[in-house]
Amino acid sequence: MFLILGAILAAYALLAPLTSLDAAQSANVPLLADRLWFRIATIIAMFIVMATAWNIIGGITGYAAFGNVAFFGIGAYTTGMLIAKAKWPFLVALPFAPLVSAGFAALVGLPLLRLRGHYFAVASLGVGVAVGELVQNIDYGGQPLFGGASGLFLPIYAIDNRGLFFFYLMVAAATIAIAVTWWVLRSRFGYGLIAIRENEEAAAVLGVNTTVYKVAAFALSAALTGLAGGIFSQWNVFINQDNTFPIDYNVQMILMALLGGTGTVFGPAVGAVLLQLLIQFLGGSLPISFDIPFVSADARPILAQVILGVLLVGVVIFVPRGVIDFFGGRSRLSLSYLRRSLRETSL
Amino acid sequence: MADFVQLVILGLLAGGVYVAVGVGFGLVWGVLNIVNLAHGALVIIGSYITWQLFTALHLDPFLTLPVDAVALFVLGYALQRGVINRIIRAPLLFTFLLTFGLNLVVINVLLFIFGSDFRSVTPAYSGQGLEFGSVVIPYVPLISLGVAILLSAALAFILNRTRIGLAINAIAADRDAAQLVGIDLRHAYAVTFGLGAACAGVAGGLIAMSQAITPTAGEPYTLQAFVVVILGGLGRVSATVVGGLAFGLVEVFAQSIPGSGSVFANAIAFGLMVLVLVTRPQGLLGRLR
Repeated sequence: MFLILGAILAAYALLAPLTSLDAAQSANVPLLADRLWFRIATIIAMFIVMATAWNIIGGITGYAAFGNVAFFGIGAYTTGMLIAKAKWPFLVALPFAPLVSAGFAALVGLPLLRLRGHYFAVASLGVGVAVGELVQNIDYGGQPLFGGASGLFLPIYAIDNRGLFFFYLMVAAATIAIAVTWWVLRSRFGYGLIAIRENEEAAAVLGVNTTVYKVAAFALSAALTGLAGGIFSQWNVFINQDNTFPIDYNVQMILMALLGGTGTVFGPAVGAVLLQLLIQFLGGSLPISFDIPFVSADARPILAQVILGVLLVGVVIFVPRGVIDFFGGRSRLSLSYLRRSLRETSL
Repeated sequence: MADFVQLVILGLLAGGVYVAVGVGFGLVWGVLNIVNLAHGALVIIGSYITWQLFTALHLDPFLTLPVDAVALFVLGYALQRGVINRIIRAPLLFTFLLTFGLNLVVINVLLFIFGSDFRSVTPAYSGQGLEFGSVVIPYVPLISLGVAILLSAALAFILNRTRIGLAINAIAADRDAAQLVGIDLRHAYAVTFGLGAACAGVAGGLIAMSQAITPTAGEPYTLQAFVVVILGGLGRVSATVVGGLAFGLVEVFAQSIPGSGSVFANAIAFGLMVLVLVTRPQGLLGRLR
């Protein structure tokens, strides 16, 4: 059931933008007639990149990184600054987003990845918060270096069918992220990372250079996230602290990976599609009109957040291995499955 | 010199709030091994209770603190018993996500009820203070510091002199052995989290008097509580008190550097944390475990 649903969603996400807008509008097809759909499909692809990238450090290596949004922001600001201030063309500036993000990750990863457990999680959370704060507040010669609180405006990238172009660019990034995960899981490098997740001391004894492996995994995760940020900056044309360093993204990408299944190739992508559609639906952004009883339009984003929080709690308690566990006949979603999950971790 | 003395006093006074925020967080972390990302949200519930009692009933804000403590204890007990106990044996990432989920729920329920307007609690004596020449000691932070110290002492008393406190200590030392000698783990865990939440509630009451509050105002305090506990050292209330005061001093001195201002509060907290973790991972007063 889930497999079919996922396949339909994926096929729809890929095929919908192919249909010409004019044709859809004249035929009055509800979803396709709306330009908003491009935006939502692109956002979904963006989150597929981020969730898949988080999976490399969080799912495969087992280090609970809580600040990956820093790399998204750094990627966005790298490309943004190169385009807006240095007047570089977009496609030349874009490759620098993953490079700078990966470089930064390697730099902070060296001290941070020595920390374990809670310490690493909160320290990386601190990186996410601190980098956003620094970017907004650093002054250079009395002027905000990165556009400050008012943000950074990029020139619009002149191309026919902009929406479609950026959608495909984001899908390409998502494909790269998934392909990289697939490669990692089949390589010596990936086996080393899994060994670190299962038992770091044992991995070191077996000859895995844990520091190099961990930093490389962190940098790889950062590079992919930074790539998404770089595309986002030119797509959105305007970047500031709020839209490139939102703390919510940290948790959303982790929840997506968890919902789909951590440590797997496609799990995070499945989770990203499901969760992002839900978020957009609850936020009232999907072009399907519906009313929630007793809730005014203003309160809907708040309700969406409450439901997201409850979902987070529910997934953690009841579906700890992700919905990918239901694929391929390993387990079936049933009451006894939920009860078993509950009992496994209860006191 | 007077400036320096003034800064030291302001730093110690600012530390009062951090002590209050830190002790509850440290207790939950040390005993339950949970880094509670909803701590800041619990703090702000306390702030809103104080604000509500102050504006509706015109109670003195310091008299509302026991109400904060009791209300948050009940809430914390229920949360641990009903929700968090369910994943206590799961990997660390799950407790992180769970408490973040609770954080989202609490903040947005508060947004539903109170909206996002700034609220502040201003008793008649706020803004006044003791004056010694050019050095001023404002009343509200001074009493807050006293309350925070009292709170820590009360917590230390409960942990070291009462039956349930000894049970909590036993669990922190060895969970399975504690269960073998007949300690009801579910109840003791819930009491621990309830005590942590009660401390958060009192901290929230103090924060309502020192700054304008919104439902999201508690978020920085979660990270800061973490830094305070690391700074002092995990596992003892007295260490957290020192950590909180030290953090207040660092913050006030860092903000007095021209050109930095308060905008870098999180960056400073984070930098300090990494410095301590790398150079002295057991904290200023902590023992290696």
